[in-house]
Amino acid sequence: MADEAELRALLLKGLAGDEAAHRKFLTEAAALLRPYFRNRLRGAPEDAEDLVQETLVALHTRRDTYDPNLPLTAWMYAIARYRLIDLLRRKKRRGDHTAIDDLEIGDADPAFEAGDAKRDVTRLLAKLPEKQRRAIELVKLQEHSVEEASKLTGYGVSDIKVSIHRGMKALMKLMAEESAA
Amino acid sequence: MKTDDLIDMLAKNVEPAERPQWRMRMMLTLLGGLAIAVALVLTFMGMRPDIGTATWPVLLKAGFSAAAAAIILPLAMRLMRPGAPIGWRMAAVLIFVGVSLLATFIALMGMPSEARMHAWMGGGFPWCIVLIPIFAAPAAALMVWLARSFAPTRLTLSGAAIGALSGGLGAMAYAMYCPVDSVAFVTTWYVVGIAICATLGAIVGSKLLRW
Repeated sequence: MADEAELRALLLKGLAGDEAAHRKFLTEAAALLRPYFRNRLRGAPEDAEDLVQETLVALHTRRDTYDPNLPLTAWMYAIARYRLIDLLRRKKRRGDHTAIDDLEIGDADPAFEAGDAKRDVTRLLAKLPEKQRRAIELVKLQEHSVEEASKLTGYGVSDIKVSIHRGMKALMKLMAEESAA
Repeated sequence: MKTDDLIDMLAKNVEPAERPQWRMRMMLTLLGGLAIAVALVLTFMGMRPDIGTATWPVLLKAGFSAAAAAIILPLAMRLMRPGAPIGWRMAAVLIFVGVSLLATFIALMGMPSEARMHAWMGGGFPWCIVLIPIFAAPAAALMVWLARSFAPTRLTLSGAAIGALSGGLGAMAYAMYCPVDSVAFVTTWYVVGIAICATLGAIVGSKLLRW
């Protein structure tokens, strides 16, 4: 598993537009987040995987809030912890003053396959506004570049980029709402 | 969708992140909030009529408020980013409050005892503790909007910092109208006014700042 320096280097490369580094960063982050959430949500491995996915989208859409002078893992876990608190608040399992450190650590279900979330992100994508959904489908799910997507849809290149970014942020909101339902 | 597929989707065709220019955006937000507060004071309260002779007291009061805002600013900026330690930034705010208390005490001790009450209370109810939060509200709204494009993770504390920062701006604008010039009045009631802004911010922060 990647250490602080390695993760940081991967994120910084990703910020510079390196797709492979960004993929590796997200993969390593998922591997760290999975036990983090499983330990804190005992007996609910699907909830944990939901939160892993939600947090990955959060890390991706808010990656420009990382200050390179500060430790990367502090940034990552602060976001993870916030997503967890937000879920707990939404579920109203506890009051507003949930101390995460007090939550009991339970057994992770070994039979549960890593990567299976309860919700289906593909279905949530369909709920996005048309322009955002099209932009994400063309550029992020199919094999089109931003320029090709611009030609196919008639929207400008920067319009496509903004739509993808807004769509991803909206997607995280939808994920959060659904996992609390 | 499996997590690996989600990662693929997020990474595919990833664009270089634009430099977010937080400082510039924060400066613009502060200027915008201050401009609205000044416009509100001029529209609804008016400049104090003796501004010609009272220029220095007005500038000093605005300067005190600006100093409060400047001392809260690093804390507010820090709280907008996940996992960034607060360190000395909170201590700076507490020291400012302590120094204000001390200044109040010294100013009151330096005058005859029968004049103290009037100098401290300004000869009536200190309306600034109501008016500063009102003039601060538009700045707070702008700042909440900015903060939501960052990623605040400590919402109550962030709300308090945003409230206090906008309170400082509101107090700067209010100084143009405020008719009371005694040091003890300003170092007490302006600070209380800003603290009320911080409290209101802490209360609504956990709702408004969610992302």
